[in-house]
This record gives sequence, structure tokens and C-alpha cells, in this order.
Amino acid sequence: MDLIDLGNTTADEARRGAFLDQLCQQLELDFASYATQHPVTGAVQGYANYPEEWKRYYAAQGLQRIDPTLWRSVRSIAPVDWERFSDDAGFAAVFDNSREFGIPAQGLTVPVRGPMGDCGLLSVTRACNREEWRKLKRRIVGNLQTAAVHFHDSVMRSETVTLLMKMPAISVREREILQWVAAGKSQQDVGDILSISHRTVEVHLRSVREKLGALTTPQAVGRAVRLGLISPT
Amino acid sequence: MIIVVDGLNRDKHTDLLRQMHRLRARVFDGRLGWDVTVENGEERDVFDLLDPAHVISVNDEGHVVGCMRLLQTTGPHMLSDVFAPLLGGEPPLRSSRLWEATRFCVDTERLTERRGRNSISHVTSEVMVGAFEYGIEAGITDAVAVIDPVMHRVMKRSGNGPSDYLGKPTQMGKVVAMAVLMDVSEERIDRIREFAGLHGDVFAPAHATAVAA
Repeated sequence: MDLIDLGNTTADEARRGAFLDQLCQQLELDFASYATQHPVTGAVQGYANYPEEWKRYYAAQGLQRIDPTLWRSVRSIAPVDWERFSDDAGFAAVFDNSREFGIPAQGLTVPVRGPMGDCGLLSVTRACNREEWRKLKRRIVGNLQTAAVHFHDSVMRSETVTLLMKMPAISVREREILQWVAAGKSQQDVGDILSISHRTVEVHLRSVREKLGALTTPQAVGRAVRLGLISPT
Repeated sequence: MIIVVDGLNRDKHTDLLRQMHRLRARVFDGRLGWDVTVENGEERDVFDLLDPAHVISVNDEGHVVGCMRLLQTTGPHMLSDVFAPLLGGEPPLRSSRLWEATRFCVDTERLTERRGRNSISHVTSEVMVGAFEYGIEAGITDAVAVIDPVMHRVMKRSGNGPSDYLGKPTQMGKVVAMAVLMDVSEERIDRIREFAGLHGDVFAPAHATAVAA
């Protein structure tokens, strides 16, 4: 998956919108949206590539107050298929109308929890039959998880409260793996050098990428060098 | 049979949760002597307030005989707070594809050492398979777990040994606790199922589509 990098300081609104468009294109989705509630003020902040008419209607009706894809998904640790809301009156109220705007009632919400008690929700939709949807979900759920955290962390990083805490906590192991990768070693090599499995190398790399707000390992190396966490080779 | 109870369906499973917190009190306070808080015979901590997912094994009589608690590592979790000593003061891993498993236990009073449906190893395997299948469905690739040496031995013997270790085993109360990594993969699930003779769906009927969907 090749997505717009939101990790550079404060990504602007247009970049975030483009990120959602690209996500839909690459993962065969119809629409994508992101919402978060400010941990201090409680204000809801959101981005979506839904048609403008639907966004206006949704806002005018105040549907966020009853939409279970928001206020219930936040309580799950796993992506929530909207099928789980089939007996929810709020869901019916929101999505019985959405079809008129071309918004399918088939979707998935990926809840993200951040270290400060913050929470974000990345939702995606796709109109297709049940079987196709099941297969699509299985194929893309990992990428959605990565995208959701990347998007959420980007929004949180631009908040002044969290700007104060932007030096990521990197462990010695994560740092030495990144240093070896920066020296051009493969994951297998790094595993051999450190006497750990290449799988464990990958677990640490995935963690350090997300801590650094990077989508790829080269980006993570670049940021680690810039932050003085590893030395340029 | 496995039921996953999370923040969305917990109101429907209050009895299972009560039984689970009682089992945890007997195991972690009673048997293992961990420094945990027990009130009215139920063990709870702050992480239970953060809407974790509980993977609960229920036997044919409706008793909770095993459980495990899952949290995302992107948010607050035990290794980032209370279990920090296990990592020697190092910051914990943080990834959208990595879940943390804690408070893993089985009911050694109700279960036997022998093989078969009511054995410790069978229920251990069932909880693990339930958690891993739930994880795969959610796009999770690895798990980090805090366990004690007894659980470590049970896991190694049942085709479910750790893929690696983090930090050092550390004395916590009466026993040693350790942080281990496990790949959340079909290969691991197959090994556990093979060892335990677990066939078919481990999830309760109607539950599979409701939660793991």
C-alpha cells in the first residue's frame, strides 16, 4: 500500500482529504471517513470523502449524536463490521436515509486508541454482495489498521496538547534494529546479528515505524536520523 | 466454547463477566499471589475500565473456565504502565498490528490435568485459538503477552510456544512474570488445534457472525 505520508509535522486539511481518496482507490472502497473527539474539549473533528449533500444532511440532522458507528465502535478493540449494528435503532435512522445519497449501509469502523486516552475512528464503506465484502475485508483489514493509526496520530500530533510530547519513546532494541537497517542490512541479517528471529525484527520495526509516524521503514530511518535517535551511516 | 465480550456487548454478558472476575481473583490473588485488587471476590484493575476485549471460555454447564484480556498496544496497556519492570525500563512496543494479552488464566480447580474437553491444556488451547482467530480477523499479526512460568510451560507443551521474549523474567509477588511475543498466524492456530484435537468453530453459535464479523 502506498499512501500519502501524513507524518510530516502538521498535515493540512487537503492532504488529509487526499489521503482518504487514495485509501479508497487502493483498497477498492467507496467512501472513507475519520472522526475523533478532542480529549479535553469534547469537540468532534472529522474528515470524509462522502458526497457534499450527505455531509450537509448528516450535519444538519445532527446524526453524529445517534450514529452507533461512532459512539459504539469506540468501545471495541477490533474493527467493527456495521453488521453488528443491525438491531440498533440509531443505525437504522442514519442509514435508511443514506441510501438516497448513494451511501451504502455496508461498512467497517476501525477504532484507534492513543496513549493519551484519545480515540479515533476510521470508517470505510463498500456496496457489494456479502461474500465479496467478507473477502475484501479479510484482504484489507491489516492495511486499514495501519492507515487508521497513521491518520489518527497525524491529527493528534497537530494538537497543541500533544505537541509537547512529540519525542517518541524508542527502546534500545528498536533503535539498534533501525541502526542496522540504516546500514543496509536486511531483516534476516539484522535477526542473525542480534540473535533474534526475523519475525521479532519485523515486530520491532512495525512498532518503531508507528512511533515515528512513518508508513515505511526508509521514512522511519530518515526521521530517526533527524531526531538524533540513530546516526547516519 | 468461546465468547468474546467487549465494550459493545458487555451488557448482555454481565453474569459471564462476574464469573470471569471471580476466576481471576482465585488465580491471580489466591494461587499466584500477584499484587492485585480484589473486591467482593472479584479481581479488577484500571485496564478493565478501558473497554478491553475478554476472550472467555465457557464449559458445557455454563461455567467460565478460562479467560484472557486483550488491549490495543497503541493505547494505554499493562506493559506501558504496571508491567514496565518486565522490560527493564525500556519503552514498550506500539503497533496497530500488535495486541497485548494479559490476565490469561484457566480454572485449575474445575479442570483436570488429563487430556480431553475438561482439561487445563484443552481450555488453554481453546482460549488461545479464540484470541488468535479474533486477532487475525482484526488484521493483527502478533501479540505480546504477560505470563507466568507455569503458563509458559503449558504453552510450550501445547504447540504454542512464544516466538520470542522481551525483557527479562521478573519477580512479581509470589511468582515470576515474563513478557513473550507470539505470531498471530494460521500456522500457530493449526499447531494448537492439532495438539489439542480442537476441530470446528470454537466460538459460540451466532456469536461468530456477531463479533468476529
